[in-house]
Amino acid sequence: MAKKYDLQEVEVLDGNVAMTHALRQAQVDVLPAYPITPSTKIVELFSQFCADGYVDGEFIRVESEHAAMSACVGASAAGARVATATASQGLAFMIEVLYQASGMRLPIVLCLSNRALAAPLNVNGDHSDMYLARDAGWIQLCSFEAQHSYDLALMAFRIGEHVDVRLPVVVNQDGFITSHTAENVHMIPDEKATAFVGELEVVNSLLDNTKPITYGVQTEENWHFEHKARQHNDLLESKSHIKKVFEEFNEKFGREYKIVEQHKVDDADMVIVCIGSTFNTSSLVVDNFREKGIKVGVIAPRVLRPFPYEEFAEALKDTKVVACLDRSSPNGAVGMLYNEISGALINNEKTPIISNYIYGLGGRDVTIELLSSVFNDLTENLKAGKLTHKVQQMLGLRGPKCEYFGEKG
Amino acid sequence: MEKLLGWDEILPGACLFAFGEEIKENVAQTPRDSRKYSDNNSHQAHVSDWRVTKPVFNVDHCINCQFCWVYCPDMSIISKDKKMIEVDYDHCKGCGICAEVCPTPVKSLMMVEEFKSEEETLAAWPEKKKKEAK
Amino acid sequence: MLEIRWHSRAGQGAVTGAKGFAEVVSHTGKEVQAFAFYGSAKRGAAMTAYNRVDDKQIINNEKYMEPDYVLVLDPALVMSDSIILNHKESTTYILGTNLTRDEVLEEAPFLKGKRIHTVDCMKISLNTIGRAIPNTPMLGAFMKVSQMLPIEEFKEDMKLSLKKFPQKIIDANMDAISQAYGEVS
Ligand code: SF4
Ligand code: SF4
Repeated sequence: MAKKYDLQEVEVLDGNVAMTHALRQAQVDVLPAYPITPSTKIVELFSQFCADGYVDGEFIRVESEHAAMSACVGASAAGARVATATASQGLAFMIEVLYQASGMRLPIVLCLSNRALAAPLNVNGDHSDMYLARDAGWIQLCSFEAQHSYDLALMAFRIGEHVDVRLPVVVNQDGFITSHTAENVHMIPDEKATAFVGELEVVNSLLDNTKPITYGVQTEENWHFEHKARQHNDLLESKSHIKKVFEEFNEKFGREYKIVEQHKVDDADMVIVCIGSTFNTSSLVVDNFREKGIKVGVIAPRVLRPFPYEEFAEALKDTKVVACLDRSSPNGAVGMLYNEISGALINNEKTPIISNYIYGLGGRDVTIELLSSVFNDLTENLKAGKLTHKVQQMLGLRGPKCEYFGEKG
Repeated sequence: MEKLLGWDEILPGACLFAFGEEIKENVAQTPRDSRKYSDNNSHQAHVSDWRVTKPVFNVDHCINCQFCWVYCPDMSIISKDKKMIEVDYDHCKGCGICAEVCPTPVKSLMMVEEFKSEEETLAAWPEKKKKEAK
Repeated sequence: MLEIRWHSRAGQGAVTGAKGFAEVVSHTGKEVQAFAFYGSAKRGAAMTAYNRVDDKQIINNEKYMEPDYVLVLDPALVMSDSIILNHKESTTYILGTNLTRDEVLEEAPFLKGKRIHTVDCMKISLNTIGRAIPNTPMLGAFMKVSQMLPIEEFKEDMKLSLKKFPQKIIDANMDAISQAYGEVS
């Protein structure tokens, strides 16, 4: 039996440590990992928990991230509760196996402390790795602060492991900003947290000798499509189950999570759409503008996959101007959020004026001043009733103004 | 203070030139201090103020095995013709790896407090053990 | 909102200090934040760490800060004008140095007219803890200057956050805090 960890009701923890406590309380059986900044602490602390007897599970040192995810696949197919952590290049190296994991319907939990992708080499936070993994068939949850990292990591097991879902889950947190900022985190006592996560219901174990089974078979044109369609269908349907888990969590522990999180969007003329910790800083900016009587709001997906089209379409149906902020280099296109949000709103009765900002790459500071400048742009657009600049702009970039797509004015 | 360039001014490819101008001479034969390193070259970045302790070299014990030269993570062991010469105190960060790997029975490299002088350190160096008579 | 910026070298314990401070302050029911700038923060490189303290949840994640207090752990960094970055009129400096106030002003004229306090936390940490980790004495000095918490209450809380260490180390840290509290001027 694992030892109970002595936790105070409020601990001052960073996102990495908070997440690792969730992994400990979920009593993960196998955690294979190859540590990489800024997720290293998760791996380090989990192996410490193992060594100190706070987890009965195993920490496996592997030779690469590709091997880490491969070991996750093996252990999960065998019927273990499995998690790992990575970031950036590590995630990039895992990509091939991410698709294997989701295709084999293995409920692995991946803690991702989001970081930029090289070159140039950079250890700081942006969403390049999150975006890289977004089509890999995993459920993706997004944390805005250390508290969420803890809560979402706990809920991730409940979500992914449910027999109707059986899909792997990424829990995203902003590298350094969330992963390394210590703040007040309300902890759930071990017994309650462990009971909430519950026992893993083993499905088709590779080690069940009464029913030998093969995972990840080959399918060609006569089978492949059906498998992929089933996976897509189940990923979309997982939304209702995610909602149930969010609700149950709220009932038990009094912290509310929604598929999309909003701050003062209801009557807002102008709204920023963003992901992660930027939601929190933007909320502060929204309050500043509201004090001046300017009706602005901010909205962010809590669940990035399955993408909440309906929720966005509903929440932004009366909004007049929208800015989608992408923290990843779009490399020759509009940003992902711009695409998704435009797609979500295009069939509404009215569609707002939508623009796209690329910001915060490689950990570039996301200041109140910069976010205020976005609302100032939006105010101009609202007054003019159309875009007063090109669709896409770079926010907080040195050098001549960078703007792309569509004509001015 | 480094000059921060705009996106239109940077050298594409995440590249930096090591030298300020085209190299015509054989760099290996050029004394280090006469090489025309560019401002971006890490040779121009001094880390001596990172040190709490510094390695001091004692030529009397050294067997020129080159371990220190191989293991120093910052190329701060100066060696020429397979002979250990000195420590480059501008680029040595004081990690102590060189002293750790030095294999001589009495170390030929020792980490001492930054403020101790080389002379006083050498004067206080531990003695070689005399071979015991059979 | 109270905002603090720490200047130190990686390895001198600024991050630990900022986190320890945040933890202690959280026991009084406050909301806290502790973070740092990490580049390739190798041991010995100059670095900064930050605290925010407020009565309500801190949702500001910008790194930009106009600090109320600047705490400088490393004596050499006292002379670097990077410590006055984004300062405001009310910014108070606690400088870890063996120099007197006048000597500091002589060496670092950019500090003239600013609210400065000095304490030799490097010496105190070497004398008490036996290592050059001046973070706890700096916190002792900060408690004196800011009058944020009664010193005994602070020490009791600090003991809690150090509880995983051997008693000897806890005692040494308590000594360091008291000494710095008494010596800061
Ligand atoms: S102390 Fe470290 S950096 Fe300095 S010479 Fe030795 S190995 Fe190199
Ligand atoms: S490791 Fe020691 S013996 Fe070998 S070359 Fe260096 S100083 Fe000399």
